[in-house]
Amino acid sequence: MKELQDLARTLLSDGTVQVVIGWEDGPTGARPVFVTSPEGADKLIFDTRCVHNLATFLSPRRSHVARLGKAAVVVKGCDARAVAMLLRESQIKREDIVLIGVRCGGVQKDPASKEPLTAATVADKCTGCDVREPHLADHVVGELPQAPPNDDARERFIEELSAMPASERWEFWQTAFARCVRCNACREVCPLCTCERCIVDKTQPRWIEPSAHPAAIMAWQITRAQHHAGRCSDCGECARVCPAGIPLDVLNREMARILQIRFDYTATDDPEAPAPLGAFRTDDGQEFIR
Amino acid sequence: MSETRFITTQALAELTAELLAAGTRVVAPAEAADGAVDYQVISNAKDVVLDERMPRRSLRGFFQPPTEQVFTWNRTDSGFSLKPVDLSTEPWVVLGARPCDAAGAAAIDAVMNGEPKDDLWMRRRETVTVIGLACAAMGPGCFCELVGKGPADTTGSDILLRPAQGGYIVEIVTPRGQAFVEAHSAKFTSTDAEVQAPPKRYDPAPMDRIEAWLEANFNDEFWQELSLRCLGCGTCTSICPTCYCFDIVDEPVGTSAGARRRNWDTCQVGLFTLHASGHNPRPEQTNRCRQRIMHKFYIYPHRHDILLCTGCGRCVVACPTGVNLPEILTGIAGRAGEDTTMGGPA
Repeated sequence: MKELQDLARTLLSDGTVQVVIGWEDGPTGARPVFVTSPEGADKLIFDTRCVHNLATFLSPRRSHVARLGKAAVVVKGCDARAVAMLLRESQIKREDIVLIGVRCGGVQKDPASKEPLTAATVADKCTGCDVREPHLADHVVGELPQAPPNDDARERFIEELSAMPASERWEFWQTAFARCVRCNACREVCPLCTCERCIVDKTQPRWIEPSAHPAAIMAWQITRAQHHAGRCSDCGECARVCPAGIPLDVLNREMARILQIRFDYTATDDPEAPAPLGAFRTDDGQEFIR
Repeated sequence: MSETRFITTQALAELTAELLAAGTRVVAPAEAADGAVDYQVISNAKDVVLDERMPRRSLRGFFQPPTEQVFTWNRTDSGFSLKPVDLSTEPWVVLGARPCDAAGAAAIDAVMNGEPKDDLWMRRRETVTVIGLACAAMGPGCFCELVGKGPADTTGSDILLRPAQGGYIVEIVTPRGQAFVEAHSAKFTSTDAEVQAPPKRYDPAPMDRIEAWLEANFNDEFWQELSLRCLGCGTCTSICPTCYCFDIVDEPVGTSAGARRRNWDTCQVGLFTLHASGHNPRPEQTNRCRQRIMHKFYIYPHRHDILLCTGCGRCVVACPTGVNLPEILTGIAGRAGEDTTMGGPA
């Protein structure tokens, strides 16, 4: 903790950055904080409650944050995958940000949790983590903790879903989507929903109706999932925020699984790695494209 | 109208079963598939959950569904016809409404029952009997007392149930509640049981000082500070018992028919205020966060003399980045206190 606070203090005092975006201990658990003075660096924490993906604050859509000036962002290894995607898609420039990587041994589902990190409390995204040590960062702080407890409930559920007959799977998603109120919270929290104008907000022509009726919900949810195929970093913030409790992360994971099979692609924190749907390869597995 | 009766847990279950058998629509807290509690349309009296678990979402959706048809249109060779939605609504019952949710719907009546009257909202309000359930414990986000309400507040309830040994002390609040008790009088007995003091967490915040500070500090740097962590997801407004804003859309089917619908909207997204010209009077999240606080604690009380917040605390729990309304209110009260022009200490 002291290492993180000292580093933030230095970056702010020597003018390297104007704001450090990290976590603090808020009234209801860990939450994002924006430190703009060296004195404020004492607020910074990192522990197992820091589930949030702070890369979302780098999205150019958040102009009220950009106004603070050059930012240093504290990232877990998994969060760095979203930063890498923002870089790959030219949404941000590498020289405009400082990345403070934190070594991580897994985070909780609930940032307000007071429980120890166990298979019951660990976030689904931590299962099988291979980025406990962030690669993309300018600075890496903390000791390398043990690997997170393994809870493969989500992976098993995805396997169950894939094994279902298509009609049953369709019914599962129809039931889940029937709860959707079309609030677009999943879009707003997403670090990679960077479109200046989302297709669902366009009215001339109106591609997707905004009402919460079954056809429109399905059109939105399919579009959302497709647009994140090969882009999603599996931070799970869409599922965490959904007021209707729709397991959007399951859908994202399923898309990722298909991308792995069809394009030999896994979400990565390497900004130079070619995007599966944005790169041409002469050895592409899909014949129609060669 | 502060008459009290008693109803046993058994008699309440029987009463619920009788209502269902008579075909009455009953909405009550019940377990959802994922184990959490939601207000739901009940089909079996056994499903009703009247324990300490706070329903995940407010009652709003039962008075104003996320999507609601207003009318349909049809164009034929002989002309153009509009078919308004059927407004007739059978009497229905909400059982086990939390005091914050009952009061929330009542707060919205101030705008919906104005001029013009909103029939889509009022038809459901005028036909409902709300049986409130006083809270026996505080949930993780609860702050009703801070906004001048409380775990046993009767606002918006026709009858309030207060948990007691073996059942509930029944506080009759309105003539509609009185009529309901009389219609099912065999289930209720007289009582001299004492009500237990409700749980307590906060003292009321100085709302008039907060209102005065809001009026005078539209451009304070506080708003920037407050909004930095806000992602603009609007989940606070989706689960809120007092948010009612909607958007109206026309959705055609082919070229000659279609429906006008109204949908939940949220002040937390840019599209809410985007003009056709491209200009947006609330271009950034800072403006939108301010709007949420202004509407609830300055604009609405100024216009209708009612706070547009009942302290249910769902926004505190649901916010993905820990935006905390009690912290905001006490922060504003603190600022108002320091500023001597706000009536605070000199």
